[in-house]
Amino acid sequence: MSSFRLRARYPGFALDAEASWEEPCTALFGASGSGKSTVLESLAGLRREVSGEIVLAGRRVDALPPHRRGTGWVPQDAALFPHLCVRGNLEFAARRVHEQRALKDAIAALEIDGLLERRADELSGGERQRVAIARALASRPRVLLLDEPLASIDRPLRARLLPFLERLPERTGVPVFLVTHDPLEVLALAQEVLVIESGRIVQQGAPRSVFASAATFGALPTLGAENRFEVRVVARAAGTLEVETRGGSRLSMVRVEGFPDPEAVAVRGEDVMLAERDPGRVSAQNVFAADVLAVEPLGEQLLVDFAPVGAADERWRVKITPRARAVLSVEPGRRLVLLVKAHAILPCGRD
Amino acid sequence: MNASEVLDVTLLSLRVSLVATLGILVPGVALGYVFARLRFPGRALLKALVSLPMVLPPVATGFLLLVLLSRRSLAGAWLEELLGRNLVLTWWAAAIASAVMSFPLLVLGAEQGFASVPRRIEQVAATLGASPARVFLRVTMPLAARGILYGAVFAFARGLGEFGATTIVAGNLSGRTATLSIAIYDRIESYREAEAVLLSLVSLLVAFAITAAAEVFLRGRATR
Repeated sequence: MSSFRLRARYPGFALDAEASWEEPCTALFGASGSGKSTVLESLAGLRREVSGEIVLAGRRVDALPPHRRGTGWVPQDAALFPHLCVRGNLEFAARRVHEQRALKDAIAALEIDGLLERRADELSGGERQRVAIARALASRPRVLLLDEPLASIDRPLRARLLPFLERLPERTGVPVFLVTHDPLEVLALAQEVLVIESGRIVQQGAPRSVFASAATFGALPTLGAENRFEVRVVARAAGTLEVETRGGSRLSMVRVEGFPDPEAVAVRGEDVMLAERDPGRVSAQNVFAADVLAVEPLGEQLLVDFAPVGAADERWRVKITPRARAVLSVEPGRRLVLLVKAHAILPCGRD
Repeated sequence: MNASEVLDVTLLSLRVSLVATLGILVPGVALGYVFARLRFPGRALLKALVSLPMVLPPVATGFLLLVLLSRRSLAGAWLEELLGRNLVLTWWAAAIASAVMSFPLLVLGAEQGFASVPRRIEQVAATLGASPARVFLRVTMPLAARGILYGAVFAFARGLGEFGATTIVAGNLSGRTATLSIAIYDRIESYREAEAVLLSLVSLLVAFAITAAAEVFLRGRATR
């Protein structure tokens, strides 16, 4: 049995989260910025400003320093030691004799025996994640804390990594607590889910029942989307629907015959394209200029905050790769053009 | 001027610079760590103080050192009591002058080395059960090594070229305190041009060997 009660104040954000869980694989689910990584890092003992009680696998740990908590924390970017090879990374974690067995088991469980002599920068994203998880397991943790284990990995690779994660608690006997913004990951991996919103745990239960209502309405893909706007319908055409957000943005979305008008729309951060200038004729129905407000790291990827030119109070959060950032020199103050397909504007109910 | 004289001058220069660099290694690296990692009141002031020798005229630094090391000053008298002799006009004084002049470079290199180590990597090391000391020795130091080494190499090279402060506190005692740069100046002053050229070429060779060795070594580390 594990539990936490955490409190912290940040500028513009307050964490006030409380939950307890027992399942061998439990997920903390929420959108970017909901506070889920903060919770995970607090459990690992890395957030001194967060106060509260933490019990992990039956042991009270909040008074302990990070190296005595027994948490196998795997951050989003894997954070392998760049100066050591894979073997060196694993041996750093398993230096005591009784951990050698855990090391062998971890290498077997994650199927990384072929990678042992490689350096961290010679590994693919999926390999890095597997090594990072094996490294955490080699330290014989009481609980494995995974931060978006699949978020910084391409979709085809995700499909390959998912089975490793699925079998993890069973193969290693170590309970897993993972953070994710993807409802499909929760459904695939977890027996229990905690839903976090703006620093509070708002729902808890079996993933199927928690997501049931959303699934019935086909809204599953909108859960955890970075962008959500209340809208009203302003025009209808064949196959498309024009809506206006409260902030004043006009958006074109796909009209599905026989469904009620949406009260809100959701857009996933990875479904928005950026361009240097208006590309002219383009299939994307929503093309508008916006100013970069902030760029923050999200694992190996980046999350960019935009304010549309005609709707300065509205915020669009867009996920991009570091390469895209370099190509477009995405820095605060820069004006870029956002492109969103009508198909990427997902209808959803009001919160 | 025969070959053994040239060798003596060169070896003295290398010894002075090496002793100076080794002497400042621990405090320089420690201060680099403090600057890279800690925020405290007076940090900016301390940084300005450490970089003073880089902006002060070397002759002024040398003169201040001379005053400090002379038996009239409290520190100088105490040092003389401790060592049984005064350091002014010895090769130790040259080493101290080099150390003071090189110190900012070492601190700067170490600071950049430590600043380049991602906090996340250290945090991961801690959650894997490594104590703060182990994290520092096995993760932070190896990752900062490049910056520290750069700092040390440039501190060493800076020490080799030191002239202004050294000549004030160590003087120009042939075979005892005359380092390469001082010997060159001496030969120019006394119109022994051929010897000045020879010593300059030796300086060039030594300087090139050091920077080249550092580049090769650091490149090796980077691709290992």
